[in-house]
Amino acid sequence: MSRIEHARLSWRKHRRDYLTFIAFVAPNFVVFAVFTYWPILYSFYLSFTRWNFLKPEKTIVGVRNYVRLMGDEYFWEVLGNTLTYAFSVVLIAQGLAFLLALLLNRKIRGQPFFRTVSFTPHITTTAAAALVWVLLLDPNLGPLSHLYKAIGVQGPRWLASSALALWAIIIVGIWKEIGFSSVFFLAGLQGINRDYYEAAQVDGASAWHIFRYITVPLMTPVMFFLMVSGFIQAMKAFDVVAIMTEGGPVYPSSATYVYHLYQLAFRNFRAGYASAFAMLFFVAIIFITLFQIRASERWVHYGE
Amino acid sequence: MATATRLGVADRSARRRHLRRNALQTTATYAILGLAVIILGLPFFWMLTTSVKPIQEVVIYPPRWLPSTIRLENFVEAWQAAPFDRFYINSVITGVATTVLQVLFALFMAYAFVFIAFPAKRYLFLLVLATMMIPVEMKLVPNYLLLKQLSWINTYWALIIPPAAHAFPVFVLHQQFRTLPKDLIDAATVDGASHLQALLRIVAPMSRPILAAVALVSFVGRWNDYLWPLIVTNQVAMRTLPIGLAYLKETQEGGNRWNLLMAGTVFVIAPILVLFLFTQKQFVEGITRGALKG
Repeated sequence: MSRIEHARLSWRKHRRDYLTFIAFVAPNFVVFAVFTYWPILYSFYLSFTRWNFLKPEKTIVGVRNYVRLMGDEYFWEVLGNTLTYAFSVVLIAQGLAFLLALLLNRKIRGQPFFRTVSFTPHITTTAAAALVWVLLLDPNLGPLSHLYKAIGVQGPRWLASSALALWAIIIVGIWKEIGFSSVFFLAGLQGINRDYYEAAQVDGASAWHIFRYITVPLMTPVMFFLMVSGFIQAMKAFDVVAIMTEGGPVYPSSATYVYHLYQLAFRNFRAGYASAFAMLFFVAIIFITLFQIRASERWVHYGE
Repeated sequence: MATATRLGVADRSARRRHLRRNALQTTATYAILGLAVIILGLPFFWMLTTSVKPIQEVVIYPPRWLPSTIRLENFVEAWQAAPFDRFYINSVITGVATTVLQVLFALFMAYAFVFIAFPAKRYLFLLVLATMMIPVEMKLVPNYLLLKQLSWINTYWALIIPPAAHAFPVFVLHQQFRTLPKDLIDAATVDGASHLQALLRIVAPMSRPILAAVALVSFVGRWNDYLWPLIVTNQVAMRTLPIGLAYLKETQEGGNRWNLLMAGTVFVIAPILVLFLFTQKQFVEGITRGALKG
């Protein structure tokens, strides 16, 4: 067999592999190209225009949309709301979830029951759960009204108060997130090598020291993963706002970033301005994620 | 403790102390877990009891914990107040179709990335993972315009095709396939089997549990989605269940007919809850797999 012939054979063999590869990845890549990659580029272009979805011509306005956003009070307020929401949900839910996982990790009866109940909020349709919470938080129609009546006070009207409406949304976010995070924490706790604990006990370490210097460091990768993914998820909150407050009671006191984006694009029909607004959202998410990764070098322990 | 074990009397009292502390800890554990169950479960309890209360028992102050009679007519009235039959059909069709496509597309793609040689495929894989970083929210305006041009607004195409490509199942299956012995595929392909045959006869059957898990996660995600169907449909008859529920809320505005609204909520949540209760092991496996066994 000559060398040329050999090369041609191997090329032919590879060609078959390459064509198979292309055929196998094509369905996903075609859909990604049409509905993800291209829209991102187009969105970038739109962010430099002014357009109302109807006019045949889009007006190129350069960076004016971005400049205007910097001076837009709504932009800063919904960004602040979203960060408050995301920080509170991630920190509080994960603290509680870690506690829950520690308890579930003890030798207790009914562990599957407790785990199922705590996880159920996560799979519940957010829009539907939000509607239930509107009723639950109602000072007259919710279960807490028994408490209010007993102590003789008028319960807070969460959704009618500019100060409390965002916190009502945060409560629902936490409720949904706890069980989800605790499943990851529990899996992490169960994956810890028993030898560490036994060695520490032989050395006479106290329960607190074992927790502080063995359990917590070994759980930091799980915490980090949940923090990064939970933060991105929380930044995108939309359904809860749409059902519970519509950004009110005085817009935008409880509007999140994505909710405001929806308003700009599909209620005010400001395609260009909304696209610039969306671009900054992407920048914010990337920035926060990179920051978390940088900060993680200080507190996350990998490997042995 | 170390010195106590050498002395019988001290040993016994230390053990008793230890046991008592253990019993205390166990009681505290159950107490806290019980409290957590009550708080986390309260919305479900309130939803279910309200959905069968007569309206007087909903609006009375303070409301009753348990209904005095079970009023099932609430469900009939809620069903008639909004086209829930349409919402159900739409949710089931789009949920099932998107899930099947997502899993199928991901199966082929993950197989290709793990078992087939291709130049620079690592970078292509990053291109797939990058889509997970890009929030769907960013693409709403251009996608809406595109679907409008395709005349896909208010069609099943718009609800099914764009979400059919999803990086998460690709990622999970990729992680799973990497644990399979590569020799198995090599042997099969050397024996003349094509990659398609290896995929269908070896890899897919071996990965049935993880495929089921991925399918569950996909289905729940589609069923619960609110934003995408809100953008790409605007006729009531094309809405899915979560938006249908919001529609029911609007039609009842000011009426305070919370028993009907909660009956409607049960319509939305019940199927997903039942599905979860029967499949929770696979489901939890599905979401934790990609993250923890990377």
